[in-house]
Amino acid sequence: MFSFAKKAVEIAEKNKAAFGDIRIIETRRQTLSVKNGEIGALNDSVTLGFGVRILFAGAWGFASSDIMTSREAERVTKLALCIAKAGSSLKERAVRLAPEPAYQDFWQTPFITDPFSVPQEKKLDLLFAVEKVLRKDHKVRSSVANMTFIREHQWHMTTEGSRIEQVLLSSGAGCLATAVDKGSIQNRSYPSSHGGQTLSMGYELIENLRLLENAERVREEAVALLTAPACPGGNKDLIIYGNQLAMQIHESVGHASELDRVLGYEESFAGSSFATTEKLGKFRYGSPLVNLMADATLPGGLATAGYDDDAVKAQRWHIVKDGILSGYMTNREFAGRIGRDRSWGSCRADGYGNIPITRICNLSLMPGGIPYEDLIRDTKDGIIMENNKSWSIDQKRLNFQFGCEAGWLVRNGKKTTLVKNPTYQGITPQFWNSCDAIADEDSWRLWSVTNCGKGQPGQTAMMSHASSPARFRKVKIGVKA
Amino acid sequence: MQNHKTICERIMRLAGRIRAEAIITSVNSSLTRFADNVISQNVSNASTEISVRVLENGRVTRFSLNQPSESALKTAFAAALAALRTQKKDPRLMPLPEPGPSIESTKLYFHGTAAMPPKDRAARVAAVIKKCRKAGAVAYGAYETGSTAVTVANSLGVRAFHKESSAVYSVTVRDKDGFGWAEAPAFDAGEIDFDRLDRTAMEKARLSRAPRSIKPGPYTVILEPAAAADLLFYLGFYGFGAQFYQEGQSFVSGKLGRKVMSPEITLEDDALGGLSAGMPFDYEGLPRQKVTLIESGVARAVAHDRKTAARAGTRTTGHALPPPNTYGPVPINLSLAKGSVSLKEMIRNTERGILVTNFHYTNLLKPLTVEITGMTRNGTFMIKNGRIAYPVRNMRFTESAVEAFNRIEAVGDKQEAFIQWGRVAAPALKIRGFNFSSSTEF
Repeated sequence: MFSFAKKAVEIAEKNKAAFGDIRIIETRRQTLSVKNGEIGALNDSVTLGFGVRILFAGAWGFASSDIMTSREAERVTKLALCIAKAGSSLKERAVRLAPEPAYQDFWQTPFITDPFSVPQEKKLDLLFAVEKVLRKDHKVRSSVANMTFIREHQWHMTTEGSRIEQVLLSSGAGCLATAVDKGSIQNRSYPSSHGGQTLSMGYELIENLRLLENAERVREEAVALLTAPACPGGNKDLIIYGNQLAMQIHESVGHASELDRVLGYEESFAGSSFATTEKLGKFRYGSPLVNLMADATLPGGLATAGYDDDAVKAQRWHIVKDGILSGYMTNREFAGRIGRDRSWGSCRADGYGNIPITRICNLSLMPGGIPYEDLIRDTKDGIIMENNKSWSIDQKRLNFQFGCEAGWLVRNGKKTTLVKNPTYQGITPQFWNSCDAIADEDSWRLWSVTNCGKGQPGQTAMMSHASSPARFRKVKIGVKA
Repeated sequence: MQNHKTICERIMRLAGRIRAEAIITSVNSSLTRFADNVISQNVSNASTEISVRVLENGRVTRFSLNQPSESALKTAFAAALAALRTQKKDPRLMPLPEPGPSIESTKLYFHGTAAMPPKDRAARVAAVIKKCRKAGAVAYGAYETGSTAVTVANSLGVRAFHKESSAVYSVTVRDKDGFGWAEAPAFDAGEIDFDRLDRTAMEKARLSRAPRSIKPGPYTVILEPAAAADLLFYLGFYGFGAQFYQEGQSFVSGKLGRKVMSPEITLEDDALGGLSAGMPFDYEGLPRQKVTLIESGVARAVAHDRKTAARAGTRTTGHALPPPNTYGPVPINLSLAKGSVSLKEMIRNTERGILVTNFHYTNLLKPLTVEITGMTRNGTFMIKNGRIAYPVRNMRFTESAVEAFNRIEAVGDKQEAFIQWGRVAAPALKIRGFNFSSSTEF
């Protein structure tokens, strides 16, 4: 593939581009699902294509294609150059990339069992078995079990001399029961909502998830939620667990710390950020307990790779350190705007057909020092919420509202009544400053976001957010329509 | 763009006696994005996806790829057939649909829009940046042009082809701490009134400077068409898909023929004409029908594909979505019938209320009442005594769309089209008692 890539790099050099790169990507994706006793999805997909980025006269041009011929590589590279020239007439400052050494390297996701080598029949047998258990109560009107496996083989070549080959692998699975009765609908999922758990691993993840062992509980909880009391309203201590805390991190810290957004480059679409650059190193984002670490080297993380799509080597850095805003998600274009001479390396593209943009890396809330059981024991009047059901946050990432699948009231240190439709609202810095306890590393685990949308044209990215359950004091609970 | 006919013939030849259904989608998309009064991103993408469903003796599988060569397709077919033969039979598997007349739809395709060069988009963007610089304001937005072609074909002879061009111009203007926005899609870029959109966004930004905080709570609202379209999308998706209906997950489940909304509301799914027009067939290659979902407040019908139609003992309305999906058929060309009141009159007739330009980051809370939350964005104003009194800081709403559409006071006299997941054509709406649950800091 590098001999194909060479054509684009040569044209970029010949035309005196300040920078040029080509990414050739072959993606295999297998999706399987069983819904209501039938195959819902069974798809094996392979795509191959390339995208060329040219920086010319201080402006970017990008073009891509799935026609893998030398002539097409030439056409696409010249188109990217032509687009860059069109954009250069309207620039106020020339794009300058933060320096990075050139690398010649191969990197791949560690795994034990290649999921594509596992027979489809075995996967479907497990999904049918799980789904059958979910469906055993007539109130469960929709039951789904699903798996997805993705292998992305990348060849990245730059005019700076980098030649990076990477093979990124992810596996995911989950199940969802939807119970319906008397004007009420309730969902319960395992291990998490929005498709389940996905990690950068092989089929060993599926074996470790114990989907079948959890299916009965999922069904029973979905049905129990139908008749559970509604989540009470008021200000209560909130303990967040499961992928809900991942969503909280993602929406109120992850996106807020994307430097392109902070600088206004997403204003017209997804919005900007309150975490502006003059606050770096000073702003109290959360309580001193709060440490949020971006980490492209995190084992199992969905944003874990050897290099990002700017050809920057994977790094680990604080976004929030001891409660203070301490870093951003960066690419090479914008890193210089905050006085850095190197990008933290969080620039990624969705497949071959999209230009790399600043993305949330794996971003984790680091564990505290208290066992989870003690955290509950220490809570007088609170509520535990688990697994995200709905999410919404304003265009500066301040006012948010989340809904969860299930809540449990905590009274005098004991987890008691199951409640339905739990929701909470808050304002980002006040919320993170109300964090007064984080469970220890025994309950610290990774959760996945597989559908993070950003940019125009829209791009999807995956990342992980690890956390232990955490407690937030006096949060507005139970929002009514 | 790859030649769909050639690819189809290759697929059907390779399938031989095995039943096959092919969906081929080619997209050419070019987008010029601007921010901070400069072009910030300039891209072009061409791609083709070939998705093939293979059926044999009660078994089914699907493969997809983007390389249409004989060898790539042969390899994919071989793997699919091997996978197919290890499966258990599914007695409920439906056979492929029988063909009707072939469909060839090209009337929404305009070559000048599909093949617009980057310099033309840059010139358009330069125009709005120039205006904003002159006014001391800042422009953000995107101008996207391109085309999409879809072919659906099967071994039994179904052949349907659709090609459309598209242009979407979206502009956000910041004037100090005020924001304004305007957007329009068109199949023919020549139909977009760019200057009007620029003026609207700039004027809203100027008027929304120095917004005041107000207390959240129930207010009469006037939703401009973009905000109304956002709510309609949720109503259409969660309310009028036959699978959700059959699973009891829709607010109209068991209520067809009954009043579910204000008599002011007539909602159709119409891919065949008007501002919601689009592909005239579905992803099984069957003709789309115009479906009246709500007629003067009474629930009339839901959107079907062949599977849900068979369960309901009726005929498909041609709403099958691209597989695989877990939603079943849903209406994606929604059109809310216009009323008789202009936006200006709505404002003039309002003693106290809030004018909402657009919503941001809306999301569903409860499907059965279509309870939604989201933020106001890009121009939210207090109306007092029939006039826009002052801009207000953005607020979060938490509201049941079903209940809100039972409190309609007026429907606007002009539809505008927006691209959601599909197309939504909506007029402005005036709704009383709309619930704002909290506010934000800007």
